[in-house]
Amino acid sequence: MAISLRESLHIGIADIMTRKVRSSVTILGIVLGVMCIMVVLAIISGMNASTLSWMEERGGASKIDVYRNWDYDFSKGGYASLSLSEVTRIREMIPEAKALNAQIDIWDALLRYRGKDYPGTAFGVMPDYPIAENWRVAKGRFINNLDIRENSNVIVIGSYVARDLFGTQNPIGRSLNLNGNMMQVVGVMEEKVWISEGGGPWAGNVLAYMNEQSFIPISTLMNKFGGDKMITSMQVMANSPNQALELQKKLDGILLNIKRGKAVFRVSSAQEQMEQMKQNAQIFSMIFILIAVISLFVGGIVIMNIMLASIKERTREIGVRLAVGARRIDIFTQFLVQTVLITALGGVLGIVLGFSILDLVSGFLKMPMQANPNMIMAALLVSVGVGLLFGIAPAIKAGNLDPVIALREE
Amino acid sequence: MEIIKTSSLIKDYDLGKLKVRALSGVDICITKGEFVAIMGPSGSGKSTLMHIIGCLDRPTQGEYYLDQELVSKLPKSSLAGIRNRKIGFVFQSFNLLPHLNILKNVELPLMYFGMSTHKRREKAKQILDSVGLSDRLKHKPNELSGGQRQRVAIARAIVNDPSILLADEPTGNLDSQAGGDILEIFDSLHRSGNTVIMVTHDPAVANRADRIIRIKDGLVEDGDLAT
Repeated sequence: MAISLRESLHIGIADIMTRKVRSSVTILGIVLGVMCIMVVLAIISGMNASTLSWMEERGGASKIDVYRNWDYDFSKGGYASLSLSEVTRIREMIPEAKALNAQIDIWDALLRYRGKDYPGTAFGVMPDYPIAENWRVAKGRFINNLDIRENSNVIVIGSYVARDLFGTQNPIGRSLNLNGNMMQVVGVMEEKVWISEGGGPWAGNVLAYMNEQSFIPISTLMNKFGGDKMITSMQVMANSPNQALELQKKLDGILLNIKRGKAVFRVSSAQEQMEQMKQNAQIFSMIFILIAVISLFVGGIVIMNIMLASIKERTREIGVRLAVGARRIDIFTQFLVQTVLITALGGVLGIVLGFSILDLVSGFLKMPMQANPNMIMAALLVSVGVGLLFGIAPAIKAGNLDPVIALREE
Repeated sequence: MEIIKTSSLIKDYDLGKLKVRALSGVDICITKGEFVAIMGPSGSGKSTLMHIIGCLDRPTQGEYYLDQELVSKLPKSSLAGIRNRKIGFVFQSFNLLPHLNILKNVELPLMYFGMSTHKRREKAKQILDSVGLSDRLKHKPNELSGGQRQRVAIARAIVNDPSILLADEPTGNLDSQAGGDILEIFDSLHRSGNTVIMVTHDPAVANRADRIIRIKDGLVEDGDLAT
């Protein structure tokens, strides 16, 4: 029957209290290591949250993108383009999809209204565009199927376009000039805002560029704007994130079929991207956790050394304890408990310190951070684990001392 | 009744190439309630004998019965319990734990015995009272004089009612006044029925004992009951 854990805790606390300076020096490595883990975990969870909210803003987890496959060797033949009728056919083949939009970019778009120029970006799009982009019309309406069929000269403009060209006027119903074609404004999009936390090149509204865009019917662009306009990309929305991966596969098959087996298009889903991001985040986390583990390891080795030295110094004490009836297991427990107490104390201090510097570090690294209660548990477990791991060797050394030799020690 | 009986105790120390025989066949017999002094020059083997009697060490050969129990064959792990229950040590250099107050020092054997905090506190207080230190319970050992420290050590040695009290030069670090006081305590413990074994090289101290066992070159030179 060994002495109780309570007894060992008492001895351990008393030992730490009588050797305050040594204990605080011993603790330092663990405090820093745990602090490091806290900050890393906060960075990781902050990044994950920020990635998710970004995905949500960009159409959510149900989104599927079709675009030119840059890995494809185009010398083997085939073009990464689709006609409007092909796109219509594809839409009919995937009735389960919530939305399908194809778009063509007009990079050199120039909008003109009463002598004011607005160089922006314009796209030929389909009526499903707002659903696919999870973007609502603020005023008026979006392009509809009739516009597509009739090649109507209508335009829906972004909020910045409306502000800069029309000021306080209501743009709906007015006509503006887009690259020489008179277009009637039928709608204004809602302002897109996604403020990234932190700063640096990512400061401010990351989605501001979208507010500078304008949209016209894709058929109008293809048939009236001249040039060989072809459809080179599509966005599809599945009904739910769960269906996205399946729909992605199906689309891939349809496109290969249409393109006679040539993989000129790449189909990617937000789900897939998210997995990719998760993987990237995991690699990132692993590196940081490795750093934290190394710092804890170093802290553990420091503690082990100090405990070994302290046992050397306390050999006489151990001898006395053995003489009055302490068993090896008692001595072993006494020193193991003491080491674990020190590391646990270091863990608690590290958690407190980690939390208090989180804001500071977050501002300094310009990274979003998020603390959660699980981290406290993890940090505490890790510090106790370090104590157990690095406390064993000193405790064994203490427990194996021979009473006669220990008593002879000066 | 024999409280200690050894037969042909041999103790060899293995110092690498060199084998040193510290005890070469020691037979001693001590009865319950005796006050015995063990004397001998340094290097005679008296410390080794004391370690074996105190169950801090085991003989290489031979048998040792403590309180009718053959302890020489017991594994080291069981010796801790024997030391805890049957032996009280008093050392020349007191060997008190400097960070503990004297009450806690005296409680130590009872803690390892597994006695509850409350009970052992009461018992330790009572014993410290009997050696005249009840007003110093919260003092650290370095706040006490040498004589007082040795009294604490005696209190610690007798707190668990051991079968034998084993003292190694208990007056060696004390002036004659304090040494005399300590010997008084041993006398009174002896009178009240305790078995006291004292290792010393001071004839004046040894003479207070009922009997002197002299050790020389690892053998009992004289003083054993058998001789």
